[in-house]
Amino acid sequence: MKTLVLGALTAALLHITPTVILVKRQDAVARLLPGADKFAARELHLSSADSRRLHDAVGWEPPDGVVMFYIGKHQDQVTGALIFMRVDCQHGPIELAIGYDPRGTIRGVEVTKATVEMKPWIVEALGAGLTNEYRGSAVAQAPRGAEKVKPRIGAMPGYMAELIDKGVMHANAAYRLFYR
Amino acid sequence: MLYDLRHSDLRVRWLVTLLLATLGTSYLFGAWMVGLYAGFSPRKVAETYGPSGEMMPMQMPPDTTVVTERPVSMAEMSEEQHHVDRDLLVQDTHVHMPMYAVIAAALSVIVLGLNISRSSGLALIALLFAAPWLDFAGMWLTKLASPRFAIVTLAGGWAMALGYTIVAVVATYQMWRRKS
Repeated sequence: MKTLVLGALTAALLHITPTVILVKRQDAVARLLPGADKFAARELHLSSADSRRLHDAVGWEPPDGVVMFYIGKHQDQVTGALIFMRVDCQHGPIELAIGYDPRGTIRGVEVTKATVEMKPWIVEALGAGLTNEYRGSAVAQAPRGAEKVKPRIGAMPGYMAELIDKGVMHANAAYRLFYR
Repeated sequence: MLYDLRHSDLRVRWLVTLLLATLGTSYLFGAWMVGLYAGFSPRKVAETYGPSGEMMPMQMPPDTTVVTERPVSMAEMSEEQHHVDRDLLVQDTHVHMPMYAVIAAALSVIVLGLNISRSSGLALIALLFAAPWLDFAGMWLTKLASPRFAIVTLAGGWAMALGYTIVAVVATYQMWRRKS
């Protein structure tokens, strides 16, 4: 019985906490594709060679081989593109929305989802201005948001900032290699 | 019979009743959650756990990257797309299997105290443990082999509900029926 109770406790402690929505997808789209009144979904089913190319570039490839860009348009002119990116860690998944302007620079980054456990860490990192650091940066440039905010925040928020950097790096590579 | 729930101390019967009530409530919410994120039809389950995107039947990566573009509404973009890819399924399996094992073990301990035949007890314990195996085997087979295996996941879910219902009904009846 003691083993059973200990097992249950261990399982409960190891359980990833539920997901929380930090920014609704709709709000993220409105912020990252401003002015767009028409949208298109561009779905890429990557070949093995392209998956490998992405993996060689950033050490990541989409697990199901699919990359999805959402494109915003106004009067048939492209106003930007958006990609939702998930980053996994032992505390659960984080979902980011990364928006690009038509010139191919980052318009903004929103953290749309995290878990209950990670939320306060992410909020602290965001409060330190993490996402401001990405704005206007080129897709070829390595994201340095974590480096900038880490001196001002705690260890776990710093770790979250590194994960967000990683997600932005993955999105940038996908955009750079396959969007155009 | 290792112990007899019918003649057990009131505190044991109270504990078992509350455990069953709590598990029952969590199962109801579990079913609700399945309805929200995965669905109860083989098609919905296959969409959730199978290869992602519109080209679902395509299991292998294409020879060259395939790009499709279609118009989408803001509502479609904002829609929660709960697709479980390989990495997320690894995490889900790691997190949920221990918890399922603990629940199956707790229900099996109750089975040991029921006044049922030895073979019925063995069959019931087998059912309690088979359910999570079927559940996750179905998810992995849907992902790796064929979307047709979604039916195995559904069978696992119904087996879980059936196992719990049998234990809850028989235990409650045997513990609380008025003794003549």
